[in-house]
Amino acid sequence: MRILFRESRPWLHSFIAVLAGAVVLFLSSRLGGAKLTAVEFVNSVLSYPEKPALALRNIIKLSGNWVLERANLKERVERLELKNLALEEALQRAGVNAPPAAGAYISAVVTLRYPQEWWQELRIDKGTQDGVRDGAAVSSEGYLVGRVTRTSGHSSWVELITSSSFLIAAAVDQTRDLGVVAGDGRGNLRLLYIPDERNIKRGMSVSTSLMNDIIPPGLSIGTIIGAGEEKEGYREMRIAAGAHLTQLYSVEVFMPNGGGAQK
Amino acid sequence: MIMLSLIWLLQDFAQLMLMGICMIPDVFLLAILFIALLPGKTKEEQSKLIWAAFIGGLLWDLRWTNLPGLTSAVSCGLIGLACVIWQKRLPSTGRTPLPFMLILAGCELLYALTHCFFWTMPSQSALRQFIVQQLIAVPVIIVFTWLFSRISERDG
Repeated sequence: MRILFRESRPWLHSFIAVLAGAVVLFLSSRLGGAKLTAVEFVNSVLSYPEKPALALRNIIKLSGNWVLERANLKERVERLELKNLALEEALQRAGVNAPPAAGAYISAVVTLRYPQEWWQELRIDKGTQDGVRDGAAVSSEGYLVGRVTRTSGHSSWVELITSSSFLIAAAVDQTRDLGVVAGDGRGNLRLLYIPDERNIKRGMSVSTSLMNDIIPPGLSIGTIIGAGEEKEGYREMRIAAGAHLTQLYSVEVFMPNGGGAQK
Repeated sequence: MIMLSLIWLLQDFAQLMLMGICMIPDVFLLAILFIALLPGKTKEEQSKLIWAAFIGGLLWDLRWTNLPGLTSAVSCGLIGLACVIWQKRLPSTGRTPLPFMLILAGCELLYALTHCFFWTMPSQSALRQFIVQQLIAVPVIIVFTWLFSRISERDG
């Protein structure tokens, strides 16, 4: 090996290294499972030395936004309390007992978002040890941003609503029309399978419909911003996501029945 | 190599701190270029630095880009090219801080452009990220050029 380094020239080493890099790139595109394992291994090893830097980042971020977030949250809590009170009164008038709370949210910090997969997925710092389950809804500021697709002990990957493979049942709040929200991998959202004759207007809100126990119904997704193309009697509606998808620093993960979180 | 490992880790921490705000320049690549182009560096040492860049680039890809091999290939290609230009195209009297700075700036620009090509973020955001990354690279390049100038003067 020493002879190889001594005798050969840098440009030759450079050429071989470029070829080796290209081979690794080609193989990693073919062997998705092996790439994923290597990525997870490197990330889990680096998570230990990175802990102080991550903590410092969170402190700076939290202290910077504390005042702003506090005012925003206070306003939201007041609004929700009033809404809750009105709903409780309506239930009492109808003689229905209020059901117990079906779940809770835990806060998670975004630890990785690849520029190459900006609209596809991101990683958070909560995993199965914290009670996160595959498929769980992930929200930001009360709006759905995605769902958990892969979990490990201390981290999880979240597929964003803008991902090209994302599909979720949803309803238009004002008309109760049901459809499917789909992403296109480029930051756009569409509501599919809305009959053409339905009177869906710009500004109407869209939220999740009842699917399963890990995606809560009624979680806001966004608002209608226009009509798209019509296909076989159904019209696509364009949706603007409610969450700030380009500024996701922390999210909330839905934990059905409290999720059994340990933290 | 310990120094290079520390620089890689510092770059990783800096990217972690600024994640979602901006992309940081490849200080690790600039540091390797700085060492490789210092006066008196042998071909053997330069070859070793190329493979150090390969490993560092691969780890960076596995941590940050999800395209394993891309940073390795780009970094190694740029270092090889820089070494050839520095030793074959420039006379020893012309190996001054100015061409050194131009080589560093050119390598950083090519490195960032190659990565930009694979980004899927909106074009406006990508352009903004690219410009910020290059602006952050400016003081780093100036510091390395200053260090190069000091070492060149010391070694005559």
